[in-house]
Amino acid sequence: MKYILLMSGTRAGVEGYHAWSKQDIEAHMAVLQRINKDLTAFGEFVATQGLAEPSEAKVVRGEKNGVPVTDGIFPESKEFLLGYWIVDVANAERAYAIAGQISAARGPGGKPTNMPIEVRQFATL
Amino acid sequence: MKYILMMTGKKSDFEGYARWSKEELQANVAFMRAFSKELKDSGVFVSTEGLGWPTEAKLVRAGKNGEPITDGVFAESKEFLAGYWIIDVESPEQAYKFAARASQAPGPGGKPANIPIEVRPVLSGHADLGL
Repeated sequence: MKYILLMSGTRAGVEGYHAWSKQDIEAHMAVLQRINKDLTAFGEFVATQGLAEPSEAKVVRGEKNGVPVTDGIFPESKEFLLGYWIVDVANAERAYAIAGQISAARGPGGKPTNMPIEVRQFATL
Repeated sequence: MKYILMMTGKKSDFEGYARWSKEELQANVAFMRAFSKELKDSGVFVSTEGLGWPTEAKLVRAGKNGEPITDGVFAESKEFLAGYWIIDVESPEQAYKFAARASQAPGPGGKPANIPIEVRPVLSGHADLGL
């Protein structure tokens, strides 16, 4: 079963991330890279993707004639997708366990970030 | 440049969607299939996925020992990802054009649903984070 693990954050949360030291960021990335490696070794890895900064986000709607109308203003509470992992696992519990590992990835000062990770199944159309 | 086009909605939006007639849903799905084909024919298609219903969503945090603690309670204002497309285009303007097309997918009564589509560049690697 395919699940997507979504990491999101508000703009304030992303700005907090910029305040991390280089060592903290590197240590955090090392954990995420190890998780990717493990998922690949277990045959559970499908894809992962990081997204650009929320400051680059636009909302687009189509006008009557299909002309794109873009808007870059979001409420402060808006949760931006920061990145995701797609995994192919035996059951939901395994997807939750992987999300737990990601949530436990070390942050500033070596403490787990404890970031909430949203876990969703794919739609079967 | 790779961009992600994201379609999101609140739980109430999904509930509204569940009330669409079979014909309206079919028209919407037909549009989405044609849109994916259009992206492929244009040579910009990378991937697309639709997600399960928000009722199946869980929020997971690590407990002290790293064990997963799941929670299925979300704020009413919470925007859930419904699905996305990743495309590889020449410019942001081209990405916005495709997003506008997706926004025009037919809704109730065959009218364009005018769903807002969030557009963001995707990172090609950790180098983009300055690492």
